[in-house]
Amino acid sequence: MIRFDQVSKRYEGGHEALSQLSFEVAAGEMAFVTGHSGAGKSTLLKLIALIERPSHGQIVVDGQALAKVGRGGIPKLRRRLGMVFQDHRLLMDRTVFANVELPLLIGGIAPAERSRRVRAALEKVGLLSYERQLPDSLSTGEQQRVGIARAIVARPAVLIADEPTGNLDPQLAVEIMGLFAEFQDIGTTVLVASHDLPLIKRMHKRVVVLDHGRLVADIPGEEVL
Amino acid sequence: MNAPAVTEKAAPRSERSQSRRFAGWREHHGWSAATSLRRLGGRPLGTLMTVAVLGLALALPLAFYLLLANLQSMGGALGQNPAVSVFLKADQTGPQANLLAGELRNRSDVAGVTIKTPQQGLDELANLQGFSGAVHALDDANPLPWVLVVQPKAGLDAPAVNALVEALRGERAVDLVQDSSQWRLRLDALLGVGHRVVLVLAALLALAALLVVGNTVRTDIASRSEEIGVLMLLGASRAFVRRPYLYAGIWYGLFGGVLASLLALAIELALAGPAAELDRAYGGSLSLGALPWWLLLAVPLASASLGWIGARLVSARQLRKAA
Repeated sequence: MIRFDQVSKRYEGGHEALSQLSFEVAAGEMAFVTGHSGAGKSTLLKLIALIERPSHGQIVVDGQALAKVGRGGIPKLRRRLGMVFQDHRLLMDRTVFANVELPLLIGGIAPAERSRRVRAALEKVGLLSYERQLPDSLSTGEQQRVGIARAIVARPAVLIADEPTGNLDPQLAVEIMGLFAEFQDIGTTVLVASHDLPLIKRMHKRVVVLDHGRLVADIPGEEVL
Repeated sequence: MNAPAVTEKAAPRSERSQSRRFAGWREHHGWSAATSLRRLGGRPLGTLMTVAVLGLALALPLAFYLLLANLQSMGGALGQNPAVSVFLKADQTGPQANLLAGELRNRSDVAGVTIKTPQQGLDELANLQGFSGAVHALDDANPLPWVLVVQPKAGLDAPAVNALVEALRGERAVDLVQDSSQWRLRLDALLGVGHRVVLVLAALLALAALLVVGNTVRTDIASRSEEIGVLMLLGASRAFVRRPYLYAGIWYGLFGGVLASLLALAIELALAGPAAELDRAYGGSLSLGALPWWLLLAVPLASASLGWIGARLVSARQLRKAA
């Protein structure tokens, strides 16, 4: 689960990206964070991944208080997260298989097990037949799916995604969101930052709305119309 | 009662986890070594240039070492029997020369004394190219004195030889003393300076090698900053990210060292012909040396260590910037 308790983030220069933010995403829940550009969506995800540290407040991710995580503990925490980025962040000189394999290699998983899990993840996103190709030869949607396979291959407890459908056409975007919903179904906590309101409405999941770093609405899934 | 059972069950799991962690660490070392080697092979020209610079830099002190070792060997061979020539005064006769020779043989710092008659000296002079005419011009007059060739005891150091020479100069019957061991002492002093120069040169060139590898790895890391950022976001530790770059440093150093050893061997082969000629000219007594095999093996290993150090020095700072 993810818990924010009175979290504020002020960058050098004085810009306050998040202000007194409190909310909780339960284990196995899927939620969207939305808001206009600059509302603080990306900052929120960066705080979860310890790319940034909060100026005030407490964050707990998967039972771990992030304030207690030192510099040496950051890699360990990140290995418990799955991260999906708008720009995929794939390594273009490595095959699809090698890209998806990275979290397992980092985690010290044995080669045979790595191979099995990578193929399972690629099968899940429908790209098993592309395993030997370089990401450059894939479409944007396919590259995003490789990014998702990489995020889920190590079976993270928490999956966070920053505008994962930002570059995709509406049909592909729905498919990608469907994948996230499937991961929620198997018990993964999923938090997706997106400004695509029509898509969010179609998913009927909880929506946390930010405006200038403040929480302005927290709408349960069943009330999303 | 339950606690020990839990511990007993937990222990094998912990051992399995430790063993798996070690296996993963070992696998990543293998993966890093292979990946860094592949990357080096992926840009053959750049790699070749770096290795060539390292090879040439490290071959230079080896070549100087070879030269000095041979000079030392030559000096040793030519100066094996240093002798002190004692020229007696012109009024000294054969019996007086024999008497002095006997006294000198009793000294503890003298190994032996050979007497050269004035006639033997004249014969030697006549045999020297260009001197026969001058000797004939002397008719029957022989101006050469009796000479005692004094052999100092083996193992005498320079001050002891000097003391012997001074003692000989102090003899009443002696006109002139010539110490042939002096040139050997000067050569040894020059070789000592040469050895120090080689050491300083080797240290400077090792530093240069370290900087070359460091700079190459630094640019390598800078060009892969995006990849490093992704790896760190995925939970890679700094040690994990740094490992391929450390192996790259090791490979650069190792290949540079192998090239340096091969170049040194090539120099040795190139000098082998003229050195054999020189040896023959001195009747095979020079015993000119080659580079020892252990040195040829040690250079690549030392160079690989230098590469590792160079890569380690820059990678920590560079990774902080890249991440």
